[in-house]
Amino acid sequence: MADMTRRRFLMVTGASLAGSSLALLGFSPTAALAEVREFKLARTTEVRNTCPYCAVACGIIMYGLGDDAKNAKSSIIHIEGDPDHPVNRGTLCPKGAGLIDFIHSPSRLQRPEYRAPGSDKWQPISWDEALGRIAKLMKEDRDANFEAKTADGTTVNRWLTIAMLAASAASNEVGYLTHKVMRSFGTLAFDNQARV
Amino acid sequence: MQRILDPAQIESFAQRTIPRIRLPDSASLFARRAERLRKLGKNHAVGDYLRLMAAVSDAQQAALDTLPLLPSPSGQVADQVEQRMAQARTHAMPPLQASGWPRDSRWRTILNELCDAVAALPDSPDAVRAACARVRERQTAQLEEQADLLLAAGTHGVDAEAAPFIMAALQVYWVHLVASLNMDAARDLAIEHHSAATVDVSGVCPVCGTLPVVSVVRADKQYQGYRYLHCALCATEWHLVRVKCSHCLSTEGIAYQSIEGGSEAVRAESCEHCHTYRKILYQEKDMDVEPVADDLGSLALDLLMAEEGYHRGSGNPLLWQASEG
Repeated sequence: MADMTRRRFLMVTGASLAGSSLALLGFSPTAALAEVREFKLARTTEVRNTCPYCAVACGIIMYGLGDDAKNAKSSIIHIEGDPDHPVNRGTLCPKGAGLIDFIHSPSRLQRPEYRAPGSDKWQPISWDEALGRIAKLMKEDRDANFEAKTADGTTVNRWLTIAMLAASAASNEVGYLTHKVMRSFGTLAFDNQARV
Repeated sequence: MQRILDPAQIESFAQRTIPRIRLPDSASLFARRAERLRKLGKNHAVGDYLRLMAAVSDAQQAALDTLPLLPSPSGQVADQVEQRMAQARTHAMPPLQASGWPRDSRWRTILNELCDAVAALPDSPDAVRAACARVRERQTAQLEEQADLLLAAGTHGVDAEAAPFIMAALQVYWVHLVASLNMDAARDLAIEHHSAATVDVSGVCPVCGTLPVVSVVRADKQYQGYRYLHCALCATEWHLVRVKCSHCLSTEGIAYQSIEGGSEAVRAESCEHCHTYRKILYQEKDMDVEPVADDLGSLALDLLMAEEGYHRGSGNPLLWQASEG
């Protein structure tokens, strides 16, 4: 049986090197120990994710520098297809291959913005304002256009004047929730494919 | 590295399955390791040790090349081997499981050859020569006991002076066992075995059940981008998905730590869940990476990781620490 308790504490330190094969065979670890004083660790990350562009949902690996855990602001430096992913096996389409530019694009939308009717200016608004406004407009529109029955008396309970675009990288669970929420409103048109 | 694929390539990708196992190439394994150790040993803080291990690796290759000339076991040992392999097949266990394997005396012949070859080198330091002589003088029972201990990843009572030689001899013996297996049977068994959930959990070599020394993200054609764990004993490589702790299998809190300004081909894949690391080599950054050699050649990274409080997942087969017990 493997000696689990001891193995957990296997560490290479100055003390352990002094009793290692290296020292016992007559070599000195001194230079190695001195050299380490000059070295510093650099931390990078690799994170697995799903490409947000289309419903094929290719697996990607995002390479990052820094680590929020160590108070260094992290930044993504490279993205490539995940070789282990059964869908794309390490490949990406030209759009997916350009994902890194999407992340660092200066024109990337990072907060809600609002353009008033007739205005040519976008103005930043808070999430609360944005969601409040969306809810209010949806309610008005639904009150005005919801159809409970057709002219010949068939119950339909539908709301045809609105549509929803959801995310293509959504998991099954998110897809289920999207479906439940939108269908409960009576909405018929929604799409999870950002193919456009 | 991005390139454009033509439709035929995309089609062939779609039909491809991940090669789960890479069996060692016994014709060049130790020679390549020796060459790499020598290359890494130039201007290295423990260069002398790396050169000694290069000499051991050369001797390993020579011993492996001549091993088929030694008489193979017959009678009782051969029966035991048959029995173990049949048992392994029945229970989807590693076919050449190191722990408890009925070793025959050939491995001690190899050990003597390694010691003689290293001692005979004109530039061997006296301390090494004396150590080789001491290893040769050890009793059979003592050597067998040490071999059992090293193969079981035990740490109490390790004879750190003899251990690199003993492990080197066992490596030759096991690589030979792998090479003399009926290849198709070995591959089928290993693949079948590897797909079973139990093996994925334990993270041990699907051929001999030993812990891996490091993992390597391969860059050669058929294996490009796949990560393989490299067996410390029989040098078989088996697939493990990227960005996953090879010690506790967590997929969260994984970081890649390397020496600032040093080689980008050697990193420590650390896990915040179990506070363990195992090095990961990127062949894309250096085509010549060799698992055992590059691990031994990056001791500085181990020292830094220990200072940060991380434990090593498992040791290097050519460097053992004396135990306190």
